[in-house]
Amino acid sequence: MEIVVCLKQIVDPEIPASEFRLDPVTKRQIRGSHALVISTYDENALEVALQLKEKQGGKVTAVTIGEEQATEALRKALAMGADSAVLISDPPLLEADDLGKARVLARAIRKLTTPDLILCGCESADWVSRIVGPFLAEELGLPCVTFGTRIEPRDGKIVVRRIVEDGYHLVEAALPAVVTIASDETNTPRLPKVRDIMAAVKKPITLLRMADLGIEPGSLKEMEGRIVLQDVAIPVREARCEFIEGDTPEEQAERLVLRLKELKVI
Amino acid sequence: MGIDWPRGIAVLVLTGVATAIFLREMARIYRFLRLGQGSLRVDRVGKRLLDLIVYVLGHVKVLAWTYSGVLHLFIFWGFLVLLTTILQQYGEAFVPGWSLPWIGNSPVLAGLQDLFILLVLVGVGMALYLRAVVRPPRFRSSNPLDAYLILGLITGIMVGLAGSRATAIALSKEAPPGWLAGAFLSRALAVWFKGFSPSMLHLVHELFWWLHLLIILFFLTWIPEGKHLHLITIFPNIFLRKLTPRGALRPLDLEKAESLGVGKVEQFHWKDLLDTFACMECGRCTAVCPANATGKELDPRRLHTAIRHHLVEVGERVIAARESGQAIDRPSLIGDVFSEDFLWQCVTCAACIQECPAFNEHIDKIVDMRRYLVMEESRAPDTILEALRSLEARGHPFKGALASRTDWAKGMGIKEVARDGPAEWLFWVGCAAAFDERAQKVAQAMARILQIAGVDFAILGGEERCTGDPARRMGHEYLFQMLAQENIATLERYGITRILTICPHCYNTLKNEYPQFGGNFQVVHHSQFLAALLREGRLQLRQPLNLSLTFHDPCYLGRHNGEYEAPRQVLRALGGNRVVEMERCRERAFCCGAGGGLFWAEERVGKRINHERAEHALETGAEVVGTACPYCLVMFEDAVKAKEAPFRPRDIAELLADAL
Amino acid sequence: MATILVIAPAYEGHVGRTSLELLGGARRIGEARGMEVVAALLGKGAGAAASQMWQYGVKRVYVADHPSILLGELEAFYLASLEACRAANPGVVLLLADSVGREVGPRLAHRLGGGIVTECIDVQAGQDGEVTFLRPVYGGKAIATYRLVNFPVVVTVKPHTMEVPAEMPVSGETIPLELSMDPEGLKTRVLEVVSEEVTGVKLEDAPVVVGGGRGIGGPEGFQLLGELARLLKGAVGASRPPADAGWVPPTWQIGQTGKTIRPDLYIAVGISGATQHIAGVSGAKVVVAINKDPEAPIFKVAHLGVVADYRKVIPPLIQKIKEIVGT
Repeated sequence: MEIVVCLKQIVDPEIPASEFRLDPVTKRQIRGSHALVISTYDENALEVALQLKEKQGGKVTAVTIGEEQATEALRKALAMGADSAVLISDPPLLEADDLGKARVLARAIRKLTTPDLILCGCESADWVSRIVGPFLAEELGLPCVTFGTRIEPRDGKIVVRRIVEDGYHLVEAALPAVVTIASDETNTPRLPKVRDIMAAVKKPITLLRMADLGIEPGSLKEMEGRIVLQDVAIPVREARCEFIEGDTPEEQAERLVLRLKELKVI
Repeated sequence: MGIDWPRGIAVLVLTGVATAIFLREMARIYRFLRLGQGSLRVDRVGKRLLDLIVYVLGHVKVLAWTYSGVLHLFIFWGFLVLLTTILQQYGEAFVPGWSLPWIGNSPVLAGLQDLFILLVLVGVGMALYLRAVVRPPRFRSSNPLDAYLILGLITGIMVGLAGSRATAIALSKEAPPGWLAGAFLSRALAVWFKGFSPSMLHLVHELFWWLHLLIILFFLTWIPEGKHLHLITIFPNIFLRKLTPRGALRPLDLEKAESLGVGKVEQFHWKDLLDTFACMECGRCTAVCPANATGKELDPRRLHTAIRHHLVEVGERVIAARESGQAIDRPSLIGDVFSEDFLWQCVTCAACIQECPAFNEHIDKIVDMRRYLVMEESRAPDTILEALRSLEARGHPFKGALASRTDWAKGMGIKEVARDGPAEWLFWVGCAAAFDERAQKVAQAMARILQIAGVDFAILGGEERCTGDPARRMGHEYLFQMLAQENIATLERYGITRILTICPHCYNTLKNEYPQFGGNFQVVHHSQFLAALLREGRLQLRQPLNLSLTFHDPCYLGRHNGEYEAPRQVLRALGGNRVVEMERCRERAFCCGAGGGLFWAEERVGKRINHERAEHALETGAEVVGTACPYCLVMFEDAVKAKEAPFRPRDIAELLADAL
Repeated sequence: MATILVIAPAYEGHVGRTSLELLGGARRIGEARGMEVVAALLGKGAGAAASQMWQYGVKRVYVADHPSILLGELEAFYLASLEACRAANPGVVLLLADSVGREVGPRLAHRLGGGIVTECIDVQAGQDGEVTFLRPVYGGKAIATYRLVNFPVVVTVKPHTMEVPAEMPVSGETIPLELSMDPEGLKTRVLEVVSEEVTGVKLEDAPVVVGGGRGIGGPEGFQLLGELARLLKGAVGASRPPADAGWVPPTWQIGQTGKTIRPDLYIAVGISGATQHIAGVSGAKVVVAINKDPEAPIFKVAHLGVVADYRKVIPPLIQKIKEIVGT
């Protein structure tokens, strides 16, 4: 099975809120000295791809759009077990919106291979828009399943376990297809083996420019014709905690109940 | 007196057979040892020879456990002294009535020999009492048959020897001059044989004489089969012991190593294999192991005996396979011989190493197998993997920390090297004190003390990375070496030479392990630094703390680095304190449960180690448990919450800051 | 004239309460821009729910009642949504950002030209007709504001973020959508629907949620929380540690990697207050924190705090609620 996994390198989403800074001009997070990591669910997607490869045979290609430093993310993907890696890098791409990114990815994927399956994380851990996966499916004209956690090949198709609010659905999809991946206990990303880390340093990474894909810079920000990001702000919390005192737990409990009644919440 | 050729030749033939059997077995074991990795390099020969005198002849470590130490001392020295009687016997075999030249007729030697016959029997009696009556749990996994057989053999040798001496005295018409005077025991026993007819007496003498010799020869053939091999292996094992700091794990050449860690028995270092043949199964390691004591599978004695049994079982086939190049079917070292749980229960506290009379190194073996699991197989408990991933991504193991590396220092006016240039001392904060809310208070207290004492210091702030201690002990040597190299580069870039740290784990790694990668710094633990500040009178105590205190020795400060006094000096200097020691303190301190990277592991099996340790503290009745490690502190806080214990854990720096 | 189109699943004529919340946001934009709010109800047997829309002042209700539009059949839902858009000529399409909307919304938007805001938590419509959408980004560490520039756009709205509007009944009409859908031609197909046994109120819908954290100490403690929750007709949730440790099912987890809740009252018990958890409860109107550690960060976000051991304070709390509020 030929599988393409789309990855995004982001600033460590686990940093404390106190360390979070925004650039007022770009309206994006300032990296500072924080680590760059593969976006959380993209790693789950890679894990699902690698497990499928182990079961079915085939090839896994990791693709990312990013700057030079995104090669680090690709090296990690190679170390985890991806067979090849592609970096799509060009300065105008930094400005691309979700539609632009989906187009670029779709062109790159078509140019590189004829995949059976394309996996993305269900959302990026930074912007959490959950758009690029379905957009990519539309660009490629492929069926789309979102928030899958497990994929079973069955009779030339796949069965995806899609998580929903109160459980899950088993969804059959024809191949090729685009599936976005959410996490569960079966797709926790593996720790790369040390030999693979060392081998990954020597593997080549394919570099694609916009010219290679025949993409015009003007086509990267079409969403702005409809909707514009006006502002990004860090919310201020106004709450100051009111402590319920009391000499005994009973007293505290009684005061709490009375206070909640005043607030009309019980 | 003529030469008794038939008897002499009979003795020589029997001896030859026994020696051949012995040597064949020893050669086999030697070939097994040769399977191991690494080469033999001997440095510091003088120190090593001295060790043999102190620890083999002097029994210094064996005597740390008084009862079993004394009994062993009796038997061991009996063995040495009574070697003279064996020489005597070989002479007698050819020349009846022969005695050792020079000393053979000394009444002192005869007296010593008799004394040790008695002491060996006392020793055997004590050993039997210990095994059969006291039955300490540490003998649980030891082979009782082997032990009783050997005790029986020793008794037999002593009976044969004493009997042959007593009957020889009874037989002799005129008393042999000299030595008889000293042989108090043999003379007393000879009285029993007074009524025997000469021929009967002669027969009985011959019986004792042959009993003595035959048991010794049987013993010789039996030595390689069981734990009594330590009679031989203890000498090379102590001579070749690790003289590098205890806290420094053996580095692994990641580029050249055939296997990253140990997944098969022949991948162990050959000295680790020798360790297993030097193990005398005394079980002291298991008796002091905190994991074992809290109902876990880990058993440091079994670590050694199981490797030895496994090696003996598969050794020949491995050698054959090495020559033929074919794979062999055998039980897996990790999985069949040791479960993964077994390997992940070790807190690397070194309590076992501290007690081992053979100087065996338990931690290296366990970490070697963890290395294989983590680096070759990518397998570890989930939370360990999570911590490793965090270490790799962000240089600290506290994923989801609510603080940044420098949050604790906000508003304290603390210099940062990158911003303000290096200071006289680099204050190495460590991840625990930076990211854990409770441990942050230790960093703040320490910084305040340094400011009061007027010490010029700075922190690395955002440029500090985990020293790699947890990664290394979790078996991820690659990640450890990356972190170590990054930190060494940072420290060297700023020309830093003197480092002060509040974390014993950082202390151990910076001091003992960074030199393996060319990082040589003067590293001081805050307990030592504070003790020095107090000694030099640079801190004026405003108020004595009227507290009853106990002190919990962090493993990586105490056992791994031998620092027991400095933190106690600080506590005593606080004035008015009562310091009550826990039963297990100093060299025998019981781990808090966090070492070996297990701070990040879920402790699902058995009682939690920190709960057990909290109970030890509770027994002292102290109001405050002093410690000198942020991990110990957090583990204690956790136990106090869970057990609602009426004491407060505090770092010595916090206590000192309170008194200023 | 472009419309505001609310698309909701209505399998067997049932429209979820959270779908009605969309009407609140829709009405706000409609009023600011002078646009009509219309609805599309999709699903087998959807027609029966049309009157519910009329109740909230939606006159024109498009109905796609087709045997292929079943629970989870999102390909069919997507094709029906496209048909609804063709018929209703929407300027703004609103869907819930749930398991349906998060897949169908972006695909629809792509077909309509790419304008989309997902995971929207608030709509603001100014008098000048300016419409903005708010959504949390960076795991809740920041809020992004998007301005509507041109029609059409798709907006997916996070459940429980908007108010169900006041009723204003009208006499409306049902407009059936003609679907030429070949069930065999659908590229995806649901083989099985597995719903986990959720007893009592669903966590996301509960007006009161009692959440437990690491401080609960084990699965047993959650029984006490369950008792409190039942009394308040609420649900029990948890932060990550209890879910990770297996004390509670993973579906109970609230937070960035779990569920987002928006109850009137959230009682956080033994929860330290990691950002990861806080991200999921920021919509709660009143947060009560019960924790032994007065330094716990949860008190920084709580409105009411009780510094106590939950084992000692919850039993009298249950008692007092029975006494003062009644059961």
